Amino acid sequence: MNFKELRDNFRTKKISAKEAVKESLAKIKDDKLNIFINHFEKEALGNAEHIDNNFEDFKDKPLSGVPIAHKDIFCTEGLPTTCGSKMLENFIAPYDSTVVKNCLDAGSIMVAKTNMDEFAMGSSNETSYFGAVSNPWNHDLVPGGSSGGAAACVSANLTTISTGTDTGGSIRQPAALCGITGLKPTYGLVSRWGMIAFCSSMDQAGPFSKDAFGCAALLDAMASYDEKDSTCTKRKEINFEKSLSKDFGSLNVGVIKNIEKLGINEDIINAYETSKTVLTGLGHKLIEVDFSELSSGICSYYVIAPAECSSNLSRFDGVKYGYRSDGEKDIVNLYMNTRSDGFGDEVKKRILIGTHVLSAGFYDAYYLQAQKVRRMIKVKFENFFKDVDLIFMPTTLDQAFEKNRKSDDPNKMYKEDLLTIPANLAGLPAISFPNGFKNNLPIGGQLIGKYFGEDLLLNTTHKIQEVTDWHKMTP
Amino acid sequence: MDKIELKNLLFLARINAKEEEYPELIKKLQNTFVLIDEMQDLDLSDLEPLNNPLELSNVSREDTDKNRNNKKKFLDNSPESDEDYFNVPKIIE
Repeated sequence: MNFKELRDNFRTKKISAKEAVKESLAKIKDDKLNIFINHFEKEALGNAEHIDNNFEDFKDKPLSGVPIAHKDIFCTEGLPTTCGSKMLENFIAPYDSTVVKNCLDAGSIMVAKTNMDEFAMGSSNETSYFGAVSNPWNHDLVPGGSSGGAAACVSANLTTISTGTDTGGSIRQPAALCGITGLKPTYGLVSRWGMIAFCSSMDQAGPFSKDAFGCAALLDAMASYDEKDSTCTKRKEINFEKSLSKDFGSLNVGVIKNIEKLGINEDIINAYETSKTVLTGLGHKLIEVDFSELSSGICSYYVIAPAECSSNLSRFDGVKYGYRSDGEKDIVNLYMNTRSDGFGDEVKKRILIGTHVLSAGFYDAYYLQAQKVRRMIKVKFENFFKDVDLIFMPTTLDQAFEKNRKSDDPNKMYKEDLLTIPANLAGLPAISFPNGFKNNLPIGGQLIGKYFGEDLLLNTTHKIQEVTDWHKMTP
Repeated sequence: MDKIELKNLLFLARINAKEEEYPELIKKLQNTFVLIDEMQDLDLSDLEPLNNPLELSNVSREDTDKNRNNKKKFLDNSPESDEDYFNVPKIIE
C-alpha cells in the first residue's frame, strides 16, 4: 500500500490510525536491515488513539492517520535523539524540532527514528555508531547516506513516508540507491530548528516516499515559516499536493552536454537517455547545458562543509549534554577525551579538515576560494535558468555499492556526491526519482528547479510517474 | 603536514590521537587536500565569496521576555550538574 492508499483508507475509515501503526510496528520490530535506532510503541499507539478519537479534526490533514519514521537527526521531546553518534547515545531532547512538530500536527504518527551516518557525514550509512544499514534490494549493499535508514525504511515498505536531511545529497543519493522518491527543498523552505546542525548554510530537511504524491503531502506538512530559524524564509504559501494536478504546459528542460565525460556508469547513462524520451513524450523540450565545472563543486563542498561542521560540533564538549569521558582531572582533558571517544573517525577527520581550512594562513586559499567556487556554481545555475525551467541529470555516478568497499582512490566516496552537491551549494531544490533498473537494482534521475520551485519539480515528477512504473517496483 | 602541525591542529580541534596514529591520520588528511586543491587552479579573483545561498537578511524578532524556565530540563541533560550549575573538573589551579 502506498501513502495515498493508506491515507484514503484512514479517511474512509477502512483502517484506523491504530491499526496502521500496529501494522507498521510489526514490520519494524521484524527489521533485519538495521534501519532503525529506536522505535516507540507506547507513544505511537497513544498518538494513534488520540487521532482516532478525534477523527473529524484530523481527517483532512495532509498526513492523516499515516505512520512516519523520522531521521534520528530531528529532536523529539522526551525521546532519544542520537544523530547516529556515541556522543548522543543517551541524549533525550528537551523539545521537538519544528519538522517533528509540524508532522505531528499534520496527523502523522511517529513510529520510529531511522539510522544515519554519524552527524549526517557519509554517503553509505556506514559511519553510524549503531552500525551499517543494508540496502533492501540486496542486503550486501549500502542504502546510500546519510539518510540511509530513512530511504531503506520506505523502500522496504515499513512506512510509506519518512523524513531526511540533505547537505550534499543525503536525501537524493539514498533515494536513488533504494529506488524511491526524495526531495531536497530550497534552502530556507523547511525550518532547521531542532535539526542537529552539520553545515548550517546547506543543511535542509525534506521528504521521502515511493512517489511524488507522498513527497508533496509530506512537504506540505514539513514546510512552514519559523521565526526560530533565522534562515527560514517567508514565502507565498503553495499547496504542493494540489499543485500535482496543475498544468504547467510544455517546459524547457536542461540536459547535460557531454554527459559521457563525467565518469558516470553506462547503465545510469542508458536510463538517463530513456528518461529523456519520457520527457519529450510529455511534450517538454530538451536543451543542452554545459556543466563542465561540475567537479569543482566537490572541492568547494569539502572545504565549506567541514569548516561549518568544525564550528557546529564544538558544542559537544561533555559539559552540557551528551557523552562525557570518565575521571578527567582538568577541563582541557575532559574536552579532548570526550570528543576523541565520542566522535567516530569520519567526524573527527572532517572536524580536523574544517579546523585547518579556517586557521590563520589557510583561510584565503581554502575557505575564501571555496566560497568563490560556490558563487561560480550559483551564477552558472542562474544563467541556465534564463533558458530552461528545470535541469535533468542522473542522481548518482553508480548504483548501490558493496559495504566496506575498497578502492584505490581514497576520495572515491566523496566523489560519489558529484551530481548532488551543486544544488546544495546554490541552495536550489532538487528531486530524485527512480528512472530505471539494472541487475535488479534501482537507478535514480534528478530534476533541479529554480528557487522555491518545488511545485514544478513535484508536478513534473508526478507526470513522469503517471506514465512510468519504476516507482512501483518493490524489493 | 608534519607531526608538529598535526599536533597543533588536534589541539585546536580539542581531539586526541596517539602518536602512532599520526602517520595514518596525516595520510588521510593529505588525501582529502589532494581533492580540495583541484580548485586552486581556478581564477576567481573577480567573484565575490558566497556564504549563504539565498543572500537574504536575517530574520529578526522582538527581543521580548518569553518566560520559559527550562533550567531543570537542561541541567538534567548534563552528564554532571547540581541545582544551578553544570559541574566540570577544576579549571584554575
